[in-house]
Amino acid sequence: MINSVRNTVLAVINKNNYGYISPSDFNLFAKQAQLDIFEKYFQKYNAQINKENARVSGTGLADIAKQYEEVISTFSTSSTLTRVSANKYTLPANYYLIDVVQYNPTGVEIEPISESKLRYMSSTLMSPTAAFPLYVQRGNNIDIFPTTITGVSDVSAFYIRYPEDPKWTYVSLSNGEPMFNQSAVDYQDFELPVTDEPELVNLILQYAGISVREGDIYTFGDREEQKEDASE
Amino acid sequence: MAYITQFQYYTNAGNTPEDVNWGSYQYVSLADIVNNFMLIYAGNHELVNNANRYQVLFHAKRAIQELNYDAFKEVKVLELSVDNQLRFVLPSDYVNWVRISMYSDGYIFPLTENIQVNSAEAYLQDNSGRILFDQNGNILRPQYSGLDYDRITGAQKSIYMNPGSQFNGQAGWNYDGTWYFEYSIGARFGLNTETANRNPTFRIDKKTGVINFSSEMMDKLCILEYVADGMEGGDASLITVNKLFEDYVYAYIRYAILSSKFGVQEYIVNRARKEKTALLRNAKIRISNMHPGRLLMNLRGQDKWLK
Repeated sequence: MINSVRNTVLAVINKNNYGYISPSDFNLFAKQAQLDIFEKYFQKYNAQINKENARVSGTGLADIAKQYEEVISTFSTSSTLTRVSANKYTLPANYYLIDVVQYNPTGVEIEPISESKLRYMSSTLMSPTAAFPLYVQRGNNIDIFPTTITGVSDVSAFYIRYPEDPKWTYVSLSNGEPMFNQSAVDYQDFELPVTDEPELVNLILQYAGISVREGDIYTFGDREEQKEDASE
Repeated sequence: MAYITQFQYYTNAGNTPEDVNWGSYQYVSLADIVNNFMLIYAGNHELVNNANRYQVLFHAKRAIQELNYDAFKEVKVLELSVDNQLRFVLPSDYVNWVRISMYSDGYIFPLTENIQVNSAEAYLQDNSGRILFDQNGNILRPQYSGLDYDRITGAQKSIYMNPGSQFNGQAGWNYDGTWYFEYSIGARFGLNTETANRNPTFRIDKKTGVINFSSEMMDKLCILEYVADGMEGGDASLITVNKLFEDYVYAYIRYAILSSKFGVQEYIVNRARKEKTALLRNAKIRISNMHPGRLLMNLRGQDKWLK
């Protein structure tokens, strides 16, 4: 998809000889655009849930929330967390959103709790137990309670990761025009579904419009994106 | 928890203790209660949303505690020998007592709670009645108060009709079929039924966590029937609730969360409250086990002649 997006972007930009964006610039814009759309999925999913609760959303093929869920789920992954010390474990570097932290020996969820609430969890009724453990996030680490949970592979995280940075790779030809090379080791396509291609193009055009100081391109991209949003 | 096989049920799959699963089907675990609630009653499309599991856990535990106090009819029984200070230390999970009895000569004698105080703290005092302190300013205390000392040594008199009574062993005479005594008991106003019990008496000192007995209980076996709160000493994996109350616990949690949440319409809170109350009533009727057969046994005595 990345080559198709790039070709479209270049076609729009070059129409009136406005300018040209290099592969490295394109990759930077592509990353930003993908992140924009990725984050928007969560907001759109939430808005769709609200619509469902207001009974203005359908089911079956009209189940928009399910579509969003499916896209978000493509970024779902898991890993056993590395133990730093005692009951402290390190979160994965590429996580965007922690879905579940699991206590592996029993499979129960370790529930997140805020630092301030943790202080109140000292009563006989509410002290964390192995049956109902808790974690508090401190920086990129999490501390598990009860503190008896200390096993090296006791804790796993099921999370939504960030999308990989897209990279349009190429081979240079003699006339200097880069040619797309899908076989490069560092090649990385967009991870979003094909239906997001128009929005990717629009967003990249906005960035490119600012880059080449061409207001029309930015305005075009912005207007197209707004139309896309309004139709969803 | 998943269903277990008959082999697992009867023999614990060959492991010890063998009886660990016996009767377990009557109960649902706290973990299952919380998981089921989070799965079915909490979520984006449910009345309860944005509720943390620890909130659900708290309300589930509170519901189970309340049920243990009066609805479950699950009375724990502990037999201990009363020590030489006439004390019975309350069990670690004690919340309230149901009945306290003395076990002697093969009989269970239900004991009466003493309406009078039978234990006290005391401070040391000098001859002029001034309280004595140590060099740190703390009050000096004797080992026993006078009240306790007399009770332990058997010198304390009882208002009950037991061997500690001041009238115990005194002679009376029978005239024309009626007994007469040279003391006031029952002479004018009839017997004081409140104290008309021959058995030893007790009084529970909640703060110090002991039951204090009258001196006749020295070295006797005491049977304490009591209710706990079902928290199993803090081991959440052991907490269970009878299945007859399962739906009530869900309703209780739902009501507790909705009633304390901002912006929930009052009619929804009321609906949850009514549902909770109705389910508790249903469950109590179910667990009361009113069997026609047992009722029949009692009613068979209705035609007996009273003499």
